[in-house]
Amino acid sequence: MITFHEVDKFYGDFQVLTGINLHVESGEVVVVLGPSGSGKSTMLRCINRLEETSSGQLTVNGVRVDERKTDLNKLRRNIGMVFQHFNLYPHKKVIDNITLAPIKALGVSKAEAHQTAMHYLEKVGIADKAQAYPSQLSGGQQQRVAIARGLAMKPQIMLFDEPTSALDPEMVGEVLDVMKALALEGMTMVVVTHEMGFAREVADRVVFMDQGRIVEEAPPEQFFSDPREERAKLFLSRLLNH
Amino acid sequence: MLDFSILIEYFPDYMEGFLNTIQASLIALVGSFILGTIIAVFRITGIKPLQWLGTAYVEFIRNIPILIVVLFFYLGLPSLGARLDGFQAGTLGLTVYTSAFIAEAIRAGILSVPKGQMEAARSSGMSYIQSMLHVILPQAIKLVIPPLSNQFINLIKNSSVLTIVAGLDLMYFADSINGDSYATVSTYIFTGMFYLILTLPMSYGSHVLERRLAKSS
Repeated sequence: MITFHEVDKFYGDFQVLTGINLHVESGEVVVVLGPSGSGKSTMLRCINRLEETSSGQLTVNGVRVDERKTDLNKLRRNIGMVFQHFNLYPHKKVIDNITLAPIKALGVSKAEAHQTAMHYLEKVGIADKAQAYPSQLSGGQQQRVAIARGLAMKPQIMLFDEPTSALDPEMVGEVLDVMKALALEGMTMVVVTHEMGFAREVADRVVFMDQGRIVEEAPPEQFFSDPREERAKLFLSRLLNH
Repeated sequence: MLDFSILIEYFPDYMEGFLNTIQASLIALVGSFILGTIIAVFRITGIKPLQWLGTAYVEFIRNIPILIVVLFFYLGLPSLGARLDGFQAGTLGLTVYTSAFIAEAIRAGILSVPKGQMEAARSSGMSYIQSMLHVILPQAIKLVIPPLSNQFINLIKNSSVLTIVAGLDLMYFADSINGDSYATVSTYIFTGMFYLILTLPMSYGSHVLERRLAKSS
């Protein structure tokens, strides 16, 4: 469903991604781990071309993301994205945050968009907040709205860019629970996170990155109990021993 | 010192000028807002030719006196084959001149909307223009209400340049009333009051709007 082939990315002279090869199957949950600055978010953001790749091939759903002629809007309708800072539209009510893109980008009727939005709001457990403004919600609730907003486009892929990093600790669980439920339903997910528990429990595969490279790729039980690479061992020991 | 008989005697003249000033200001207000918004978006699209065009427009227009802009539309355009009367040329000049300042205010507003907003909108599959219209601009406008209302107050006062192209505005009539009555001080004090009738509510309205929008966010 998502295939990186020898993808490089530069910011000027600085190389952020080096020789990325990665394949994500339909229905797979891939969790990307690594220290900050390792290129995890950049790699994720290449998938819907919020970042441009510099060389190599990147294919999503059979479409070459890296080609100039690719219809980006069409590609993106099929890829939901959840951000670290939620990025809800502060001037719109929760319900309007969710219906905007389906109405404008998919051309769905208002009534249908509304119905879909309520369905997903119920699913993330905050249907009662439909008429509230984002600023009236807690961080955890805002992030769940953001997930509902992504799902309302009925995408085949969901990308999560550190979805719990900006949350108060007691709100992390409610967001991870929603993501867990989504994974169980067979959504294709790529998740950049520091939540090791989530990676261990939900991921089909863990990808460990360092300095712009994929250093190790393994099933979670193997990665956490017996990482092959030194860099991964060091990373895990620092995380777990404090 | 203040001779109220001037106001009574010349009231029809004052009114005609006053109404024309309102009309010119309203047209220029709407026109410069739309034009300014388009220029502002040009300047931040990242599409080089549009960016240059927008920058050239703003730097060129806002760095020459408004008198020259208006005279260009009145005297310069006929040589290009378009003849406008004083009111039309004056209002057009006023619109173009003000739009450069409005473009700068709106550009600053757009740039202060967090980058993640555009990313969220674009990543949901909306086009650049849809994202601008529905996500970025509504937030930007809120931020630029104070500088924008400043510009609109300036616009109303600047509408007095219509006088030099015989645009039949308030100032034009003030000059003619003065020429007739020789009561210079009274004539222009009353004229100033008519301008205040337009600008003070504008100031007040922007404060109210600002407070109300602050509450909703």
